[in-house]
Amino acid sequence: MEIILGVLCQGMIYSIMALGVYITYKILDFPDMTADGTFPLGAAVSTMMLTQGVGSGWTFLTLLASFAAGAMAGMLTGLIHVKCKVRDLLAGIIMMTALYTVNLRICGKANVPLFSTETIFSNSTVDSIFERLLPSSLSKYESIIIIMVILILCKLLLDLYMKTKSGYLLRATGDNATLVTSLAKDKGLVKILGLSLANGLVALSGSMMAQYQRFFDITMGTGTVIIGLASVIMAANLLKNIPVIKNTTTIIIGAIIYRGVWAAVIVIGMDAKDMKFITAALLLIFLIISMERKKKVKMHA
Amino acid sequence: MKRILSAIRGMAPILCMMMTAIMLTACGDQIDETPKAAETGELKTTAEMSEEAEGDLAKGSYTIGISQFAQHGSLDNCREGFIEGLRQAGIVEGENLIIDYQNAEADTGLANQIAGNFVASKVDLICAIATPSAQSAYNAALDTGVPTIFTAVTDPVAAELASEDRMPVGNVTGTSDKLPVEAQLAMIRELLPDAKTIGIIYTTSEVNSETTIAEYEAIVGEYGFELETVGISSIADVPVAADTLLAKVDCLNNLTDNTVVSALPTIIEKANEKGISVFGSEVEQVKIGCLASEGIEYYQLGIQTGLMAAKVLKGEAEASQMPYEIIEESSLYINGAVAEKLGIEISDEVSGRAAEFFTEIE
Repeated sequence: MEIILGVLCQGMIYSIMALGVYITYKILDFPDMTADGTFPLGAAVSTMMLTQGVGSGWTFLTLLASFAAGAMAGMLTGLIHVKCKVRDLLAGIIMMTALYTVNLRICGKANVPLFSTETIFSNSTVDSIFERLLPSSLSKYESIIIIMVILILCKLLLDLYMKTKSGYLLRATGDNATLVTSLAKDKGLVKILGLSLANGLVALSGSMMAQYQRFFDITMGTGTVIIGLASVIMAANLLKNIPVIKNTTTIIIGAIIYRGVWAAVIVIGMDAKDMKFITAALLLIFLIISMERKKKVKMHA
Repeated sequence: MKRILSAIRGMAPILCMMMTAIMLTACGDQIDETPKAAETGELKTTAEMSEEAEGDLAKGSYTIGISQFAQHGSLDNCREGFIEGLRQAGIVEGENLIIDYQNAEADTGLANQIAGNFVASKVDLICAIATPSAQSAYNAALDTGVPTIFTAVTDPVAAELASEDRMPVGNVTGTSDKLPVEAQLAMIRELLPDAKTIGIIYTTSEVNSETTIAEYEAIVGEYGFELETVGISSIADVPVAADTLLAKVDCLNNLTDNTVVSALPTIIEKANEKGISVFGSEVEQVKIGCLASEGIEYYQLGIQTGLMAAKVLKGEAEASQMPYEIIEESSLYINGAVAEKLGIEISDEVSGRAAEFFTEIE
């Protein structure tokens, strides 16, 4: 039971990040490596705030601040790509590299514990609310409830945004950039906006992860993009035949399943050393399966 | 078949990107592996061990989870020492002990997952090796009653695993691998009476190194030295950092910094070309070519940790009541072959004090 709880918590936190990767990779068709830097950026910003004494209900401000910081980093990646005409992959890598230093500067050192500070999961405001609403036997579900609320908020806001004019433009930019230009809109601006939004979400997820694991570590961003991509690809391929659910929902499910696979690999006693290889193999398999199917559809059409 | 081929061709760009990403991730991880990593190959996998063990285990046996942060000579020694410490206290693997060993490969997310799984499978105790593993284990075990015993955490106070008076902040205690800085400085002064400047290369992502450097800075003057440091962010920066530093210093001193230790052969070679000695912080480093070290023995540290864990397992003491321990005495290791190469004379008095005197470079 606790394993499932842990998988759900971490999976849902990562799914917010996966939503960000989904915006860049699937919607904008932009291979954005910035996420490896913005994930710890969110963690760094919130760690700095919490150690400076931000407490009680104000801890939730860390989420907004992280989102803002991430959005700023995403915007810079966008500017580097659009204004300086640097290739997309490189723009992200440049930003990711720079963010390493930024994160170290923000926190002052490479590892900062959060055991003695309040976090979004345990602070006086949250505790008193839960005391009134939940019997104490259910107290271990506090974290998951908070994560779920934030996740659902993010998802709904994102869904709403996608239905606005700006959201439609965002989707059009990835699919058919010419269309955007012919509508007399600047596709560069739309890209910058999309990158901001995406990296804001990634940083938000990083902030939650740091507070969930109760420490910031400079290496915590390593592999973020891969986890995000894996979730997005799994979601796209496992769940694409179910037309009722929204894309954002499939991403969330994908991220949780991916985390579940990870946990399962450890539980059945496989060596953690092989983790990266298993990730790579799984991704490849999913990609091949989906390609195969696409072709078949075309043959019959 | 043709269809599959064209499908594969179609996704080439995506694959390229994925590969780049995977490679980038992999590079990030490599830095923590030392040449010593091969040693662990001899260890059986967890699955094998528990399979062997489960059959004939009597009731009243213990299950512990070992969460090690990275694969690394010193950390491996720690783990082996830990198991030996338990054995000395009568808790023997395969008889009354099941060990679930997991290595996080320097991935904090994985460390969290490992710790969470240990708690969920209700182990009797978690042994966490190195700071991030200790923090994630403590966090996962919070409010569950599962004790965490850590080792190889340089500064448990800074990691918020203990308070200033060495007492634990919760159900967590263990041992620190704090380096005997004073003994090391005294030893360097003894071997190099004329040296003025000590150089240290460290990784900016390793908090332990920064703590130790602060300690060096505080007392280096007392021994008549000046300190020059260069921070690096990845193993690729090592050659440049070494060249810069070697132009300014009389000797190099090496910490337990994972990245720098991995690149130690490069540093030693560059230093020896210029006739500059490199001091180590641990026996393994002296074996591969450092002149000498006044360091702690990780195997011994592991044994000490194992004995503490045994007390907790047997119910003789509560982890929350035990102050964390450090190894007070340092042991001197000297590499005679290196001294000869550098033309440094080692007096009989000094070599007599050494715990071990190596006559060749591994």
